[in-house]
Amino acid sequence: MTGSYSLAPVLFSDVVGSTLMICISFGAVWYASRLRKADPSSVIWTYLMVLTVALAVFSLSRSVGHLVKHLLLFTGNAYIWQCFQPYTGAINSIAFIGVASVTLFFPKVQRINARILNDKMALEKATEDIKLLNHNLEALVEKRTSQLSLSEKKYRGIFEGSMDMIFVLDDQLNFQDINPSGLATLGYDSPSELVGSVSFGEIFFSSSDYEEFVEDLSVSGSIKDRECRIREKSGLEVLILLSVTGTMSEAAKRKSYIGIAKDVTARKRMERQLQQADRLASLGQTAAGVAHELNTPLGIILGYTQLLLRNCEEQNASHGDLQIIEKQAKNCRRIVQDLLKFARGSATQKSYVDLITCFDEVISLLGHQFEKEGITVETQFEQDLPKVFADGEKLKQVLVNLLVNAKQAISGNGTIVVIVKLGPDKHNILISVSDDGCGMSQKTLEKIFDPFFTTKPVGVGTGLGLSVSYGIIQAHGGCLQVESKEGVGTTFTISLPLTDESQKSAEESQTPTLQSECS
Amino acid sequence: MPRIDLFTAFLKSLSNFRFAAILLIAGVGVLLDPIKAWALQSHGPPEGLYTHQMAHLLFAISMAVLAYWLETNGFTRERGWRLIQLSFLLFFLWNLVAFSGHFVEIRIPPGLIEGQQGDWDQRLQVGYDSFTAAYYFLKMDHLVAVPAILCLFLGIRNLYKQTLMKVARDK
Repeated sequence: MTGSYSLAPVLFSDVVGSTLMICISFGAVWYASRLRKADPSSVIWTYLMVLTVALAVFSLSRSVGHLVKHLLLFTGNAYIWQCFQPYTGAINSIAFIGVASVTLFFPKVQRINARILNDKMALEKATEDIKLLNHNLEALVEKRTSQLSLSEKKYRGIFEGSMDMIFVLDDQLNFQDINPSGLATLGYDSPSELVGSVSFGEIFFSSSDYEEFVEDLSVSGSIKDRECRIREKSGLEVLILLSVTGTMSEAAKRKSYIGIAKDVTARKRMERQLQQADRLASLGQTAAGVAHELNTPLGIILGYTQLLLRNCEEQNASHGDLQIIEKQAKNCRRIVQDLLKFARGSATQKSYVDLITCFDEVISLLGHQFEKEGITVETQFEQDLPKVFADGEKLKQVLVNLLVNAKQAISGNGTIVVIVKLGPDKHNILISVSDDGCGMSQKTLEKIFDPFFTTKPVGVGTGLGLSVSYGIIQAHGGCLQVESKEGVGTTFTISLPLTDESQKSAEESQTPTLQSECS
Repeated sequence: MPRIDLFTAFLKSLSNFRFAAILLIAGVGVLLDPIKAWALQSHGPPEGLYTHQMAHLLFAISMAVLAYWLETNGFTRERGWRLIQLSFLLFFLWNLVAFSGHFVEIRIPPGLIEGQQGDWDQRLQVGYDSFTAAYYFLKMDHLVAVPAILCLFLGIRNLYKQTLMKVARDK
């Protein structure tokens, strides 16, 4: 390869190549910038951006130098090029070093990028874990809330549905909450009537009981199964079995008391009645024995007295004495017979009796006499009552006894109310005789049916009237109960069972035909 | 000895009056008679060329290192990075070409190029020496540089398109 060769291809490649270098390098910068914008978080793209800029600077410095050189030489300004040439060469060298420096940084940048990516992944994983935990936490909270709600419902159900009185007291022993059964026991309609306005002490019947309760509670921290007498809203006495325990509220840091009370009034009453019935049964056996033993000698005394009277002239001085003996012997026999009536009941002649008719007779008989003494007898007889299989005369006797007792309990003017109605379960008839007299104490009530027990002066009564009435009602399969409050009055209540036929009659009495027959 | 101890020793030596006096006299002497001082050194014309050549070498080495690094770190699995790697290899080659061009340029006799500098009708007298013939081809280094920058452009464009697709996929 020898000879003379034109340098035009060299010059051409230099000019065209320089121009292309500038254009393409700036194209690369443009794409690199777009790439960086598309994913600004990537350090690699940022690095590529810097690298392309460095290469563009290199291309620009070199290519512009070449083009300017050709332009200056072509235009005959070689001396200007002589001035610029060292600068372009130096700038080129700096551009090379710059590109090389940027390039050699790439591994470091990539390591940083890898670390960032790892950190990013770790962060994303941590975020996912937190999300999962959060989700689980939400589910857990939801589950616990549901359990809590169920538990709350369960305990609320126990509180609301309990047949016993459940209540909460604050540290000052004021009502904080009370269940419906408690409201019913105390006779209130809503908790707001009690909470904040009535203290626990106010419902105690006796202040000494309450003081004792507070003292014991403060000493032992709890009270278990204590019998207490409390007062209803209306003032009636209620006997309760009270248990109270103190708890410390975590939230309020205050002591509160939770109490459960059982209304044992009815149970206690029944127990008393059973005790009384047992006692009266025992007394009845004794009385029957005594009466039986006395009856025979009394009969002999009376018989011989009557024989002596028949043979004795009326003018004889002994005649009067014999009459007195006869009278007292008859009195004794009557008492003995009453005792027997109380003890085992005398022979009864039962038939279907219309109680209203029977009682009307008694009340019309005694009513006038009572009215003279300022006592009104009111009657509340339920219509269409069934007939009772009973001894009408004995029942009249019982009513007479009760009315006479009521009259004697009233000093001055008063009212006696006689109510006859069908029992709530339609298996019995309830007869009540109430007076607004002086009433009786608890002690008197306990002995009211005992034979010979009387509060009347000696000679006024034998103390057998109520005992006999009790015996008569017992003989009819019923029961005689008494409720009394001193200064308020007394109510005797008789419950007479209905036979099956009577019950049928009660059901049939709903028809208009029977109604008219009864009326 | 730790550095702090050396520094402490230097401060202690300054406190020595005799040592401080010698330092002061030497400093004043340099200021008063700079011709005798050898701190400044003259740089002749070849230095610029040597610097330029060293810059080419540095550029070439960096390109080679980066191309190797891309290969060993698995970047070249993607087409865009393969094009960029090719670009770096071409730039490496271009640096060798340019380096050789500069090397040859200063060794050919000036009379072998006929015509005025910058004229399009310049001619090169190629004899039997290999330098002149090589010079003719080495002067056309853009035949390597332009493909190198083009590969870089295409590689980055490819990465951009791939990224757009990935972003669209993620959305």
